[in-house]
Amino acid sequence: MIALKHICLTLPEFSLTDICLEVHPHDFFALIGPTGSGKSLLLEGIMGIMPFTSGSLIFEDTDITRVPVEKRPLALVYQDFALFPHLDVTQNILYGAGYHHISKLEARQRFDYLISALGLEKIVLRFPYNLSGGEKQRVALARSLILNPKVLLLDEPLSALDPVFHDEARSLLKKVHKDLNMTIIMVSHNFEEVLYLANRGAIIKDGKIMQQGSIQTLFEKPDSRFTAQFVGMKNIVSFEPHGQTLRIAGTRLDIVTETPPDPDHHHLGVRPENILLNPSASPVCQNYFSGTITGISPYGVFTRVHLDLKGMAFEAIWPKTFIKEFDLDTGKPVSVGFHPESVHTF
Amino acid sequence: MGWLFLFLGLPLILLLTLPLINMTTQPSAAMLKQTIMDKDVTAAIARSLLLSLSAAGLAFIMGTPLAYLLARKELPGKKLLEGIIDLPIMIPHPVIGIAILSLAGRNHPIGRFLSEAGIQIMGTKTGIICVLLFVGLPFYINTVKSGFDNVPIRLENASRTLGAGAFATFARITFPLTWRHMILGIIMCTARAISEFGAIVIVAYHPMTAPVMIYERFTAFGLKYSQPIAVWLILISFVLFVFLRMMTRSIHTDTR
Repeated sequence: MIALKHICLTLPEFSLTDICLEVHPHDFFALIGPTGSGKSLLLEGIMGIMPFTSGSLIFEDTDITRVPVEKRPLALVYQDFALFPHLDVTQNILYGAGYHHISKLEARQRFDYLISALGLEKIVLRFPYNLSGGEKQRVALARSLILNPKVLLLDEPLSALDPVFHDEARSLLKKVHKDLNMTIIMVSHNFEEVLYLANRGAIIKDGKIMQQGSIQTLFEKPDSRFTAQFVGMKNIVSFEPHGQTLRIAGTRLDIVTETPPDPDHHHLGVRPENILLNPSASPVCQNYFSGTITGISPYGVFTRVHLDLKGMAFEAIWPKTFIKEFDLDTGKPVSVGFHPESVHTF
Repeated sequence: MGWLFLFLGLPLILLLTLPLINMTTQPSAAMLKQTIMDKDVTAAIARSLLLSLSAAGLAFIMGTPLAYLLARKELPGKKLLEGIIDLPIMIPHPVIGIAILSLAGRNHPIGRFLSEAGIQIMGTKTGIICVLLFVGLPFYINTVKSGFDNVPIRLENASRTLGAGAFATFARITFPLTWRHMILGIIMCTARAISEFGAIVIVAYHPMTAPVMIYERFTAFGLKYSQPIAVWLILISFVLFVFLRMMTRSIHTDTR
């Protein structure tokens, strides 16, 4: 549906380099990366606000690289929603209708549908400074959706919202994607929200695509240390092949994997939530170690437990109830392990 | 602390108010009435007002796009251009008059071109407007530029993403969010132009503006005959500046 071919965008102090991406129809595609990685710049480039220096942007077999912003079949919802402060909610939502040759009747019908679907009936006469963050987001969405864009671009749609609106807004985006069956490209630095919303994505670092594919693949099979860390993989260590197992460099710890690693893989990682406590209870766990707890810290509704496994620092995330149930405390010995399929090499 | 600051600021307030109060209270009501009935005086004050408003109108038409460019674009030599725009604030005003005259004179190609086109600068209203635009332009440009600076570029971009072209975006987003600054700029420019004397007296002693007439009455007849005209000019300027302050307040209210 949208293809970016060898896109470059050069600014005095930053550049996007050789970006190649493909977004399929009905994708919820996430551009993921840390702050300053260039993901919002790429989104503005796709929208046409920042012209690409080279490369081409193909939309449904048509090259739209040089098409002006206002002529592109796309709509963008800004991180801070960019509502027009001098217009009320109704005027904001209807702003673009005239430019897209939508008749007044059609615009009114779409308006009525959207304010009902997005729960905006009671605030249509309010001005932006009288709206909460969640309301602003819904107005900004309605303002874009009324134009029936073929692709909706979302720039960090949840980051400007108070935590109290997060879940509601996340569900709304999921609903919009599902109900309208539209293609969405979203920029985010939060892999948790990406996991919830997106089906495909790309990870960007320093203006370059590090990895792209299905979100599940990015999550489970990161192909670099950066991607692994970004998607929350911990316990990343380098290894050397040792017979049928992998020996963690500088230790005598041998790790069993489900399949032999690629010859060019030199690191392995295990997600902290895949570390099992007292794995003797699980007969299939072939990676079994004993060690000491070096620290315990809260992690939302879970607990992060730092472990020393024969000189190697590991991290596990367990339910809070484990602390009392298994009498875990700093300095106490502990047995841990993980399944071979939990070991990921790259 | 407030009392200490007031104590320190009091001499400044007195410096501003005492000469003005003294001058405005000296002429009798009869003298003031007689002065305003003088057709030459009313014509000079009206001329000052009209020509100043004309200069401000030109600043609005030509200065607004320039202020927008300065606020939005990274132009080569932008700092230099901003410095040039601020120059009239610093240059002694007779120098401005001399500079304009030397350019508009018959010895200069531009002066010859203007003369052939039937445009006279010296001793004409055109010349006065030219001078007033020169001295008032920095006030207009800087005020309006700060207005454009206050409009986030994201709002303009958002408008473009919704299908509006560049001109429609300016008309529907940028202008409604900056028109108060434009009015403020027009008032600043007009107020500055009304008070101009140094450059006008060189470029166009006639037709006479109010400041030139005050100077002429002072040199020809003395303080007593120049003061009432000055009082009327001060009153008009005062009304303008009160209006200006009210506008500034409403701008602050809007950006809450």
